[in-house]
Amino acid sequence: MYQPLALQSLALQPFAANGSTDILSIANNPVLWICVAGVFGVIIIQSLIFMKAARRAAPSVDMSAQDIKTSFRSGAVSAIGPSLAVSLVAIALLGLFGAPAVLSRIGLIGSAAYDVSAAGIAAGSMGAKLGDASYTQSVFAVAFFAMSIGGAMWMLATLILTPLLRKGDAKIRSVNPAAMAIVPAAALIGAFSCLGLTELPKSGIHVLSFLVSAAVMGMCLMLAKKLGKSWLREWGLGFSIVIGLGAAYFAAAPAVGA
Amino acid sequence: MSSITSAPVTTNTAMADFNRTTSRWGQITMIGGLLISIAGPLYLVFASGLDIGPAQLWIAFAAVAATFGIIWIVEPLTYFPILGPAAMYQAFMIGNISNKLLPAALIAQTNIGAKPGSKRAELAAVVAICGAAAVHLISLAIFVGLLGSWLISVIPPSVLLVTRLYVLPTVLGAVLVQAIVSMKQPRTTVFALLVSAVVVFVVVPLVPSLAMVSTAIAVLGTILLAWFFRGKTQITEAKPIHIE
Repeated sequence: MYQPLALQSLALQPFAANGSTDILSIANNPVLWICVAGVFGVIIIQSLIFMKAARRAAPSVDMSAQDIKTSFRSGAVSAIGPSLAVSLVAIALLGLFGAPAVLSRIGLIGSAAYDVSAAGIAAGSMGAKLGDASYTQSVFAVAFFAMSIGGAMWMLATLILTPLLRKGDAKIRSVNPAAMAIVPAAALIGAFSCLGLTELPKSGIHVLSFLVSAAVMGMCLMLAKKLGKSWLREWGLGFSIVIGLGAAYFAAAPAVGA
Repeated sequence: MSSITSAPVTTNTAMADFNRTTSRWGQITMIGGLLISIAGPLYLVFASGLDIGPAQLWIAFAAVAATFGIIWIVEPLTYFPILGPAAMYQAFMIGNISNKLLPAALIAQTNIGAKPGSKRAELAAVVAICGAAAVHLISLAIFVGLLGSWLISVIPPSVLLVTRLYVLPTVLGAVLVQAIVSMKQPRTTVFALLVSAVVVFVVVPLVPSLAMVSTAIAVLGTILLAWFFRGKTQITEAKPIHIE
């Protein structure tokens, strides 16, 4: 299963049959950077409008200006830890997707788990594999589309459902609670299992990085529970990725000319 | 989890204004975000010299929808009672709901002593999410935009190569464990692993053309098995099933 030859050929950058494998040149297209600015801008505009609206409504509900300041500061401070943890994961994805795509995907709805899965599925639908010699510019573009369309679907669902739910949440109560508990969980665990297991036959290092990462995550979650340190849960994904990649690096070092 | 929605507005015109403003501008900004977020990839696909047909996009979309379509609908449904209408537009644009926005809202409510479900709680949540969003954007700009871009330019190509090759199994290994542990559904977990193993190691090698829909098959198989073999005890009041 260990394929040092495949890595050697990749280190020599072969020209794949259906497109260049120079992902980063297309991933840093200026248009994508403009879209990042747009995404950031929209979030900023929304926050400014919502802040102003909240400030205006506050006195009528016995909420002082100090309360507003405290709320803002509490929200900001509590977001520091999770933001750093997410940034670590985002940095790990930069090599695969480039900065603009990572910024727009992580900046908007769509966790790393979803993005990587969607990209993997999209690559598979083109008969390619994410990250290796078949990962051409075209595959990247379609993968980026798949990640973004998922985010768009979340937003579409929110746009449609929120006004409906406002009118009265009788609708949700009529959905079978067992279905709501079992079906989404089955979908997620099934998807991650399949995507994960699909990685294993690719090479011994794939198996190694998968297992090491899974073990580190398991340990982080167990320690978080035993020692009561919830920050371990936050940072679990980041640690798992870094340590998993570290293991992969040492295993692959002879082949990648390190 | 304490709810931060409030009872329907009665005679409070200021809150009525708030609801109207957040509803209208929430929708406008979310539609804007939606369009901008798909404009980038669509530009790449159609206008940057790559030879990709629309059919390829539909196939990719169908493959992703088969896996995550349920989540796209269920997550807004499950988060609405907790977030309230205004915060929904914030949360489903910014993401990072369970790890960043929800804790931010709850901590703010505690810090100002707002009663769960009160209007103060609702406003506190919206303001707290604004604060969290600010830190979110600043941290992304600094650590991923600046630091990340610099890192990519200085790390040895061998490290970058390893990252590209192995970040997928690394992320999936961790995410799978996280999902299994957090959802606490052992029966479903066993079914998922079994079905996936059969699909990946038996079905696809036998019928290689099914490789494209392997994930959809695994998802469908797991759902069917988990549903038909559900025990009575599985229907507990679980946390919302989410990946956001």
